[in-house]
Amino acid sequence: MLTIDGLTKRHGSRTVLANVTFQALPGRVTGFLGPNGAGKSSTLRILLGLDRPASGAALVDGRPYRNLRDPLRTVGSMLDGSGAHRSRTALNHLAWVARSNGIPKRRVSDVLEQVGLADAGRTRVSKFSLGMGQRLGLASALLGEPGALVLDEPVNGLDPEGIRWIRGLLRGHADAGGTVLLSSHLISEVAEIADDLVVITAGRIVKTGPVAEVTAGYATLEDAFFGLTGDASGTTPGAAR
Amino acid sequence: MTLLRALSAELRKAATLPGIWVGVGVMIVASAALTAYNASMVRGALAAGRPEDTAFGSAFDAAFAAVPLGTVGAVVIGVLVIGSEYTANSPDAGGGRQITTTLTVASGRVRVLAAKVLTVTFLVATAAAVTLAGTVALAAVVIGGHATEVVAVDTALARSGGTTLYWILTALIAFAITVLARSAVIPLLVLIVNSSLVSVSLLLTNLTPLAHWLPDLAGRRLFGLPEDFTVPGGLELVPGAIVMGAWTLALLLIAGIVFHRRDA
Repeated sequence: MLTIDGLTKRHGSRTVLANVTFQALPGRVTGFLGPNGAGKSSTLRILLGLDRPASGAALVDGRPYRNLRDPLRTVGSMLDGSGAHRSRTALNHLAWVARSNGIPKRRVSDVLEQVGLADAGRTRVSKFSLGMGQRLGLASALLGEPGALVLDEPVNGLDPEGIRWIRGLLRGHADAGGTVLLSSHLISEVAEIADDLVVITAGRIVKTGPVAEVTAGYATLEDAFFGLTGDASGTTPGAAR
Repeated sequence: MTLLRALSAELRKAATLPGIWVGVGVMIVASAALTAYNASMVRGALAAGRPEDTAFGSAFDAAFAAVPLGTVGAVVIGVLVIGSEYTANSPDAGGGRQITTTLTVASGRVRVLAAKVLTVTFLVATAAAVTLAGTVALAAVVIGGHATEVVAVDTALARSGGTTLYWILTALIAFAITVLARSAVIPLLVLIVNSSLVSVSLLLTNLTPLAHWLPDLAGRRLFGLPEDFTVPGGLELVPGAIVMGAWTLALLLIAGIVFHRRDA
């Protein structure tokens, strides 16, 4: 279980997160929804121990991420695409990631196969498309067979076949008892995958609950999104990090 | 255990990064090229019976005249082991950086940095061994039987050890600076220029003798070059080496504190 409890974060005088609180439960896919710049990535970065909050806590099964031993075996994550150096091959990238957590080498070819990059293992990451980079990022998230997956905009750049594939993958992970937390700025996309929704806008959580409950009372998913995030104009200032 | 895993990951990372091999190559090839040139001049002078035309009578001295150039390779290795973490992918590919992966897969940031320090030390020490043995062998082949002097084994070992230490400390200083800069580009540019074309520290000695306490100048006697081959003044071998070592430790400590505390 992933527990986000009262997170507050400021960059200078700007409040990025204000008392952000929610949970992602095992056996369910939780969609973390909000416009660009709403604080989704900031929350996930704190959850993954990359950034520090001004106050509040983010816990993985009751423990801060930074206290996890061999974290890949507990949480697999993906932020900003592949997370690989551009001049390294996919195989070499996954090989060092595996070593860092004492994961057997055979898992590298397993996950490359699983994400559909079996033929691209010896290709340098600089030659990857956005979709391939996302698949490589997913491969390293899956490497340690973790109970929880934390994915920032995982569907970005995937083609329709890729989107269908990732939906199946995440559904399967949750159905097997795993926890899935994924962020998205597209409600139609996340409503297809998620069981629960957490809606954030301008650094504040505005609604949490099962998808049907969160979107109840709106004619369309799009109406729900703009109704919840309070942006009727439909233009969202791009401030994603 | 976890440090060993982190070290294993860092070594694998370094071995699969082309830039690291450029650094190793620069150290070996640049030193070898200059050695070949020096040695052929020495051979020419000695063969013509004019030993006064050359500063070196032995293959060892001819080879070691080239070692300051190897410092550039050490800088490249030190900078890239951490700087490559901050190289961004193209915006078309998500624009991510490897540091995100490195920190999320690691248990503890200090351990990551310690593993990197060990990696830099290992790489530079190994490259230094190859470079020094290779250039001395090369000079010996070129000069052949014309050599007029033989360097004693203890001198040869002391100078090899001193040179290796200088390169390791230089690489670690470059590493620490790059941790603070969070980018490879500027540290690489500044430090390569400083250790090859223009030594800023050396220029500063014209303004103040305190510049002799800067790390690159403080440690320069570690090369063991003859007095008439180097700029006079400054610290002697042992105090100089201690000052350079202290700079290295201090910078690594600051880098460690900053790396531990700041947002990735």
